[in-house]
Amino acid sequence: MRSYQDMVFSTAVRLTANPAQAEDISQEVFLRAYESFDNVRSSPKAGGWLKTVATNLTLNYLTRHRKRWRLFSEVFSDDSRDQDLESAADSAAAVFDTALTELEADERRERVEKALERLPEHQRVPLVLYHYEEMPYQDIADRLGVSLAKIKTDILRGRVAMAGLLAQSGLGAPDDRRRNPPATRGTQS
Amino acid sequence: MTSRDQTDEKLERLVSQVLRDQPLRRAPASLENRVLGELAARARLPWWRRGVASWPAAVRIPVIAGCAICVPLVWIASLWLAARLVSITRSRMAGPLTTLRDAGQTFASLRAVTTHLIQSIPHEWLVGGIIASATVYAVLFALVAVGYSLLYPRPDYSKVHLT
Repeated sequence: MRSYQDMVFSTAVRLTANPAQAEDISQEVFLRAYESFDNVRSSPKAGGWLKTVATNLTLNYLTRHRKRWRLFSEVFSDDSRDQDLESAADSAAAVFDTALTELEADERRERVEKALERLPEHQRVPLVLYHYEEMPYQDIADRLGVSLAKIKTDILRGRVAMAGLLAQSGLGAPDDRRRNPPATRGTQS
Repeated sequence: MTSRDQTDEKLERLVSQVLRDQPLRRAPASLENRVLGELAARARLPWWRRGVASWPAAVRIPVIAGCAICVPLVWIASLWLAARLVSITRSRMAGPLTTLRDAGQTFASLRAVTTHLIQSIPHEWLVGGIIASATVYAVLFALVAVGYSLLYPRPDYSKVHLT
């Protein structure tokens, strides 16, 4: 259990953005693993099995709030790709490309985690499924019961929003940083 | 490939790289104790409060066999109950149904008597009666009209002045 508990917990917490709920889900995953202990113990794919169960249980948990989730997705997601999103995507790429890599590993991890947690659910869930779980767009759309176009838009908006949240946390695009250089760590109050 | 697509692909690649480089979140220290505690609590449960799969074979096999026998028995009992319910309902409804049937027979008898009476009267009598009734009605109507005009004379509107 100790070998896999961080992986299971990470899978759940990235999707729910709620450590308490993620702990409940992780507990249920391991209880199920103990029920199938003979199969899981001897399987070389025990890690994959646990990850799949963790993902499915978390999505089942989120599906209970599915109507609300879909409503938010419909209300806040726009199929049209306006000019603002195009320019925002450029700035977002700059944040991820340059500014983020300049941070220490611990600080980068903390900021990325916080930005991910602050994303709205209708953007965070497909973003996590796509980038962490490596699910194709169509599978995500099927699993969440949302149209393919909306999933693509939500994921793109999620990336841009995440860059915006990182920028808000004091991490700007290179151009912004040149115009408004951040205070050095020693002078921060 | 358009510049829009290139931007999207670049952003996707960068986000993927950043997110996949993220280390795993550390699970709370309480998780292991919670799981082990729950397992211990489940182990303390008596066998009949656990899943059937974990019951002793000496119990599980007779229970499954008993369930298999119970299924047709439940079907038979359901059919017997349904038949009993139908017969009870019929007996309970017998009284009101008899009253309704008697009322229907009474109305049918009345209709038969009326039809018989009408058919027993000669045709000429019926025509003559209808003509006589119409004549008496017309004469009485004329008398009432004449009497009304004599007893209640119409006012002379020419003498009324409009103010």
